[in-house]
Amino acid sequence: MSEITPRRTRDDHATTIAAGPRPTSAREATKTRLRFRDILRTIGPGVISGGADNDPAGIATYSIVGASVGYAQNWLLFLSTPLLIAVQQMSAKVANVTKSDLASLLRTHFGRRVATPAVVLMVIANVITMGADLVAMSAAVELVTGVRFIYWIVPLVALMAGVTIFLDYRTVSKYLLWLVAVFATYIVAAIMARPDWGDVVRSTFVPKISMSPEYLLGAVALLGTTITPYLFFWQASGEVEERRGVQSISRSNLDISAGMVWSNLIAFFIIVATGAVLFSHHTEIKTAADAARALEPFAGRYATLLFSVGIIGAGLLAVPVLASSAAFGVAGLAGWRRGLGRNARNAPQFYVVIGLSFLVAMEMAISSVDPIKALFYSQVLDGMIAPLLIVLLLLLTSSRKVMGDFVNGLPTKVLGWVAAAVMMLADAALIYQVATKGLPA
Amino acid sequence: MGGEPGLQGPGFPPFWGRAISEGPMRHESAQTESPRSSDPAVYTVNAPEAVVDAWWASILAGNIYEPHPIHGPAIKVRLDGSRLRLCGELESPEDRKELIRQARKRVGHGIDHVDSSDLTIARRDEQSGILDQSLLSAFPNRAAAEYARAFVIKHSRVEPKYHDIVLQGEEERLRAVLPEHWIPKARKWLEEGQALLVLTVDETGAHRVRELLEEDTRSVWTVTAPPTLSEGRR
Repeated sequence: MSEITPRRTRDDHATTIAAGPRPTSAREATKTRLRFRDILRTIGPGVISGGADNDPAGIATYSIVGASVGYAQNWLLFLSTPLLIAVQQMSAKVANVTKSDLASLLRTHFGRRVATPAVVLMVIANVITMGADLVAMSAAVELVTGVRFIYWIVPLVALMAGVTIFLDYRTVSKYLLWLVAVFATYIVAAIMARPDWGDVVRSTFVPKISMSPEYLLGAVALLGTTITPYLFFWQASGEVEERRGVQSISRSNLDISAGMVWSNLIAFFIIVATGAVLFSHHTEIKTAADAARALEPFAGRYATLLFSVGIIGAGLLAVPVLASSAAFGVAGLAGWRRGLGRNARNAPQFYVVIGLSFLVAMEMAISSVDPIKALFYSQVLDGMIAPLLIVLLLLLTSSRKVMGDFVNGLPTKVLGWVAAAVMMLADAALIYQVATKGLPA
Repeated sequence: MGGEPGLQGPGFPPFWGRAISEGPMRHESAQTESPRSSDPAVYTVNAPEAVVDAWWASILAGNIYEPHPIHGPAIKVRLDGSRLRLCGELESPEDRKELIRQARKRVGHGIDHVDSSDLTIARRDEQSGILDQSLLSAFPNRAAAEYARAFVIKHSRVEPKYHDIVLQGEEERLRAVLPEHWIPKARKWLEEGQALLVLTVDETGAHRVRELLEEDTRSVWTVTAPPTLSEGRR
């Protein structure tokens, strides 16, 4: 018989509830002191969310933004980092306090009239993004193998649907994060491309706003791919699945901050690399191979291979997250059993939604005409939906009735409302410009 | 919806393996709601060995997706040649020991080895006894609420600190456990003729109770009141 050696034990309390005088509130009673080893083992839904945030659609968006407007929108990325952290922390905290995922909360507190459109819009945006991600992944495989991308769509869907439905995806995703680490090469590529660092720093800290449709489209897509609706649902459901309660709020916040800072740091260097390599040479991104060229300063002739591995890894991480978020939304709305820890027999409707999302996305990918455009516009759609969800999230997390002592503090409220306002302004400006000047080419 | 409360289908473990003592009740009326000791199906939940044996027989016959009668889908068992592999996460070392004991009983019937290296115990970073949390669930009638209460107490393995079913005209009883601003909402549901099930549990067990109430019973609504300091910490 094998030796009975549990890997983890209940006594392994890493969090210490602050000792001291008798607490006067629930919040005070659960103040935690995180030790260094907590920081090392903090990987959880936040870090996975950060990894999934840089999905192929995100990579394409950052590449297009870098190639089309250079560093001009770096300030937006810099601004979006604390906003993204605040929004994700609100998503996590509302789940920690109420023990419910987002769709279920929207249904319970705002009614089906509000919850249903919010979830349906999120599902539509997710499926479109999945379709676009599938095309990007297949195109990346084509770059390496030379076999036309269309032949890779079905095998990729079969692989990812299989992993999501038959394995414990939350465990698998922790390994997939290593594949996405390939994108760290953008940091080296950006440095080796010798950008004008003065210009980079200036454009990061000094906002430069243009009202051209191209600029606004890029801004909405950039904000939409960074502060993404499906991540709110994924984050909340992750906290619920890991059964994290209010004593875990500090750990969740740390996990989220680490994930989001890393995600936006990579995004920043993608823009710098593509800006330095492609924008400075007025090269437009029309194919995945064009986007891969940004890695050439670092990887030379291996740039394509490196880019492909990264895109495939990012897709393997993100597409199941997109499908699962859609399923969490629908199941939460309907009150079905849900959770990636459950098996398909145990939560059939939840897995049917996952399967359907994959099928519709596959159909879209097969019939898609322009993968790069599909990737980009799916993020524009996300940018339109996100502010509405942020407002609902703010109303929930600022309500003492819902959150009790864990209600939003002033900094979180301010950051949340700024996030919603910035995105709404960008959306309104884009709609106005497109209505008066038409859609950019 | 997940189906009828207590339905013995996939994912509905018929019994949990631990008796739940009737905890102290904070409200006088709750005493009248307390279970009859002659009603073992409701609160006395010792899982008969036969149910566990039946599950093992089903698993060894190849029905590997059958949830464990006590631990549900958290546990997976695979027969790898003559090696019986146990995987998953359990709540306590006692649960782990018991599952390994059950597996070892099967050694000799085509099985000569039990591999429990992937059977882990859930890491709990959260300490119990600090906060309490009340969950409020609305049901179409009292019978459904009664059934749900029995089901949740049986299957959650969480000992409620308080439980009650409140009907129209009895909303004053809710004041004992719910924050004041929840009362109007609760009153609205009661006026619609719904029966309210109130459960107060330790905050660390609220996840499981909410999940069962929302996903596995015919509740119309399930809401969780914010955590409050547990009585011992006030």
